[in-house]
Amino acid sequence: MTDIAITKNGIIVVALRGELGNHEANRIRTQISSEIFSGKVHGVIWDLTHLGFMDSSGIGLILGRMRDLAPQNGETLILNPSATMEKIFQFSGLGTVVRHCNVEKAIGEIGGVLHEQ
Amino acid sequence: MNNEMTLSFVAIEENEALARMTMTCFITPLDPTIEELSEFKTIVSEAVTNAIIHGYDCDGIRKVTIHGKIEDSKVTMTVSDEGNGIFDVDQAMEPMFTTKPLLERSGMGFTIMESFADNLSVESAIGQGTVVRFEKTFSPVTEKSRMR
Repeated sequence: MTDIAITKNGIIVVALRGELGNHEANRIRTQISSEIFSGKVHGVIWDLTHLGFMDSSGIGLILGRMRDLAPQNGETLILNPSATMEKIFQFSGLGTVVRHCNVEKAIGEIGGVLHEQ
Repeated sequence: MNNEMTLSFVAIEENEALARMTMTCFITPLDPTIEELSEFKTIVSEAVTNAIIHGYDCDGIRKVTIHGKIEDSKVTMTVSDEGNGIFDVDQAMEPMFTTKPLLERSGMGFTIMESFADNLSVESAIGQGTVVRFEKTFSPVTEKSRMR
């Protein structure tokens, strides 16, 4: 349901699938938090391209990880939410970190390099 | 089309998905747009999650009841619990207000429900429970769907 990948320079890419409600958020929260606390993470990209449903539990999950990232001044981007999800992000003040682009471009925006040679 | 249903289930998190799925099926005959459907599903999810987490503290014993009614293109729904009740409904409906920040509840549930529903109302009494009632009218029948 959730794919978590980390780039060499410390950007976590969380690809969510299926539905994200309270129950699902509770199951993946600690998994993502432990990745953030495990090393030099300086950004999280939430790829919602294949997420079919999200309610306010998603807001709680993302805001919570933004707090985890705060000590590292980590950045957050939210990619390709549906129209309904985008409204929810706007109500919650997260509209400014929503992007409609691919993961590579988002990694570039927060200062990463996707393929270090 | 007219239709009516009642669904009742114990307060465990797993039943949030059950409620979303059941109510999505219930309104499918109205031929909603993708956005109408996902807004409706979001309202259901917020109201049911509130009843399970805040009404019953996920006790797995007491029951949440959903009642749905379809009259032509209008759906009327209530989500009821007989649990804790809300101390101050006006305060609970303020954006970002939550009594459970440690559970990472965002406090956006009622804001989202009010935005996506028509005529949302909340009745609550401490120790007696909460009833969330709302309507949602779906877009008029299109030429294409009328020909089916």
